[in-house]
Amino acid sequence: MIAEEHLDREALEMAEALQPIHHPPETFFRKYIWSLDHKVIAKQYLWAGLIFLLVGGTLAMLIRWQWAFPGRPVPILGRVFLGDSGGVIGPAQYMQVFTMHGLIMIFFAITPILIGAFGNFCIPLLIGARDMAFPWLNALSFWVFALSLCLVVGSFLGDLGAAGAGWTTYPPLSTNVGTPGSGQTLMVAAVFVTGVSSIMGGINYITTVIRLRAPGMTYLRMPLTVWGLVLTAVLNVLFIPVLGSAALLLLFDRLLGTQFYLAGLATQGGGDPILFQHLFWIFGHPEVYILILPAWGIVGDLLAFFSRKPANWYRGSVLAMVAVTTLSAVVYGHHMFTTGINPLLGQGFMILTLIISIPAELLFLNWLRTIWKGSIRLTTPMLFALGMVFVFGLGGLTGLYLGAVAPDLYLHDTMFVVGHFHFTMAAASFVASFAALYFWFPKMFGRSMSEPLGKAHFWITVVGITLVFGGQLLVGYSGQHRRLYDPFVYQYLQPLRALNRYTSYAAFALFAGQLLFIWNFFNSLVRGPKAEANPWKVGTLEWSIPSPPPIHNFDHLPIVRRGPHELSSPEVRKRLGRDWIGQAEVLPDERDVPAASPAHG
Amino acid sequence: MNLPLLLAGPLGVGLPVDASKEGWRIDEMIIVTSLFVGLIFLIMVVWMVWSILRYGPEHEAVFDHGARRSSWIWTVLVALLIFVVVDGDLLVRTLIAVNRIYWNFEWAEQQRNAIRVEVNAHQWAWSIRYAGPDGKFNTADDVVTLNEVVLPLDAPALFQVGSTDVLHSFNVPNMRMKVDAVPGTINRMWFTPAKVGDYEIGCAQHCGANHYKMQGMVHVVEPARFQQWLAAASANSRQAYDPQDIGAQWGWDWAEHTRVR
Repeated sequence: MIAEEHLDREALEMAEALQPIHHPPETFFRKYIWSLDHKVIAKQYLWAGLIFLLVGGTLAMLIRWQWAFPGRPVPILGRVFLGDSGGVIGPAQYMQVFTMHGLIMIFFAITPILIGAFGNFCIPLLIGARDMAFPWLNALSFWVFALSLCLVVGSFLGDLGAAGAGWTTYPPLSTNVGTPGSGQTLMVAAVFVTGVSSIMGGINYITTVIRLRAPGMTYLRMPLTVWGLVLTAVLNVLFIPVLGSAALLLLFDRLLGTQFYLAGLATQGGGDPILFQHLFWIFGHPEVYILILPAWGIVGDLLAFFSRKPANWYRGSVLAMVAVTTLSAVVYGHHMFTTGINPLLGQGFMILTLIISIPAELLFLNWLRTIWKGSIRLTTPMLFALGMVFVFGLGGLTGLYLGAVAPDLYLHDTMFVVGHFHFTMAAASFVASFAALYFWFPKMFGRSMSEPLGKAHFWITVVGITLVFGGQLLVGYSGQHRRLYDPFVYQYLQPLRALNRYTSYAAFALFAGQLLFIWNFFNSLVRGPKAEANPWKVGTLEWSIPSPPPIHNFDHLPIVRRGPHELSSPEVRKRLGRDWIGQAEVLPDERDVPAASPAHG
Repeated sequence: MNLPLLLAGPLGVGLPVDASKEGWRIDEMIIVTSLFVGLIFLIMVVWMVWSILRYGPEHEAVFDHGARRSSWIWTVLVALLIFVVVDGDLLVRTLIAVNRIYWNFEWAEQQRNAIRVEVNAHQWAWSIRYAGPDGKFNTADDVVTLNEVVLPLDAPALFQVGSTDVLHSFNVPNMRMKVDAVPGTINRMWFTPAKVGDYEIGCAQHCGANHYKMQGMVHVVEPARFQQWLAAASANSRQAYDPQDIGAQWGWDWAEHTRVR
């Protein structure tokens, strides 16, 4: 025991030497603009993400309006943004609306909130570090992201309108052949620039987790949230360069007259539109997991915390997440079953795709077994975590149809696909983001959010999401294509008019329901009751320091002794009279007993 | 048994009428998978509701990491069971359907009554071409139409699909079949019409502002009527043929392009 204590002290001294406490910045500029504090950068990402979430959501309302009332003037918004056409969305504007909705939501709303904000906020705090490994790079990555936001705004002001080639930006439509004008160019550039930012962030996250874990914080004692975030960072660093190269070649085609993606009568040489699809989906499929892995991690932790139980088979969940990360690189071809793909390749991608359902099932089973025989507290974060399991269940299960070639021949490019990926990328990622926000809000801002308002927000959000994206699945199953300005020009889609309209009503309600969140968020920010250090009574490291934490997080770096969810341990109950124990907490006479229990029990 | 019709509700939800000989396989896969998936989802929801009701704050949580071998082995076994049954069913059905039918162009090509159609997609219409009596494409007797495909009942219809400008996707929902139209490439698809009637063609791939207007129609008629129509239309074509009009000669030689990329 003495030897181990000695080692601990040595590790601690090294860690302290590696992360000295600096003076807090004093100028406004260094405090709020060019701050090196990961917690401030997290909030910068959060604000940016929430603002663009509102923009993306508003665009979604325009799409829903068009499907409910094709060609009818849009109330309020139409007068502001579509004055020239008397408030009516025209076909050319419509394609800009859905293109910008998709790109903004994926790259400029979910990504900054889930990865930028919670990645920055959680990683150092949860592993017991004073900041990121490269604080300066961290600030740079935010401001590069901010530059990409300027390009997005610029795209809206483009000479021929905003980008319009769909979020997938398939050439030749996305070249000057289909969408000339600066709007499309600026948006491709924005995706490229935001990719640069993501790569810098990813390198920082990975290095931080490898280098700055507190003494005793072994990989298998990290909260699942950290696992999710770091695996996402790995995928970002590996695959965003591929997206970057696809975007760069597209910019060359648009600006320099190259023909990488052009083919057909008017071209000379060997361009190929399908090349872009390969590059895009080599990134694009991992992207789906980039956006869901942090959500899985967060939900895995929260379900354990609020069931007052250790997460079921922690090691299995970690393994499953690593397996998904690995497999995500070799399934992308299922997006291309109808492109005339080689049949052998198509079938290979199908088999690999279906194999991903094994680790996904393991995660689900672990979640379900975590809440079993727990002591469930239905707090707002817990409700959102359970809601994520529900909506991701729908999203994951509907993916089965699309992973297999034959059903995909019918379902590909229908609203069924749209419903499926909204349940996974939009619903599950955002519901988990809300869970995280309600959970870490006290730590971030030092104040508590209103629970009753949070619960009302939960019900509106999850019921709304289920109705809206469920409606999309149903019309897609019935054959409605995606991206149709007016679906009802088709005779066989006429009967779906009412369902489309009801789905739009649900979407309007879902959007309006977010006002509850906006009110709760700002009101709590200003007037919420002061939060204590550990309001949820859980043991991860961030709850062992004040809310909000001081700039250097930990006065003394902790020595970690156990896993993240050692809840309801009979021994702790007996000695401390409570059901939780901090990851770095020392039991009264712990030095006398053999080493602390390992993370996974 | 027509399960899709059972699912057709008051909101117009349901698979479009299947007018092809092969589409039932896709319908069956969708229905069977839906049953499996529905059951799994139901079990999941019941489990969650039961846990919330049964194991509330007054219940003392069981301190269990689920990490003993006797415990995690069940997690793995259940996951594998679901995989083998649900994914396995889908996988086997798809492999059979794709290899024997949907992507088995060689078989379709060998059928003596097969009809060959070239489709040239462009913003925002479908140009359609039949070889005419000489059996050769891009000759004076070719039948060329816009957005209209006429097919005889019960004969395999083979399509070669290309595009002159951007990506499109030639989709006939009632035949459960679509294939992308890619500039610089000829893609293939086939199905066998099994019901007389008119079935809509749509473009499934975003192709610009008027994507939604890129409609067409498949007319399935009795074989005798088809032959009549083809002969009459071909005679018309020969009369109207203009060798100077290069733009109208967009057809390609069928045999050269049967290789799938």
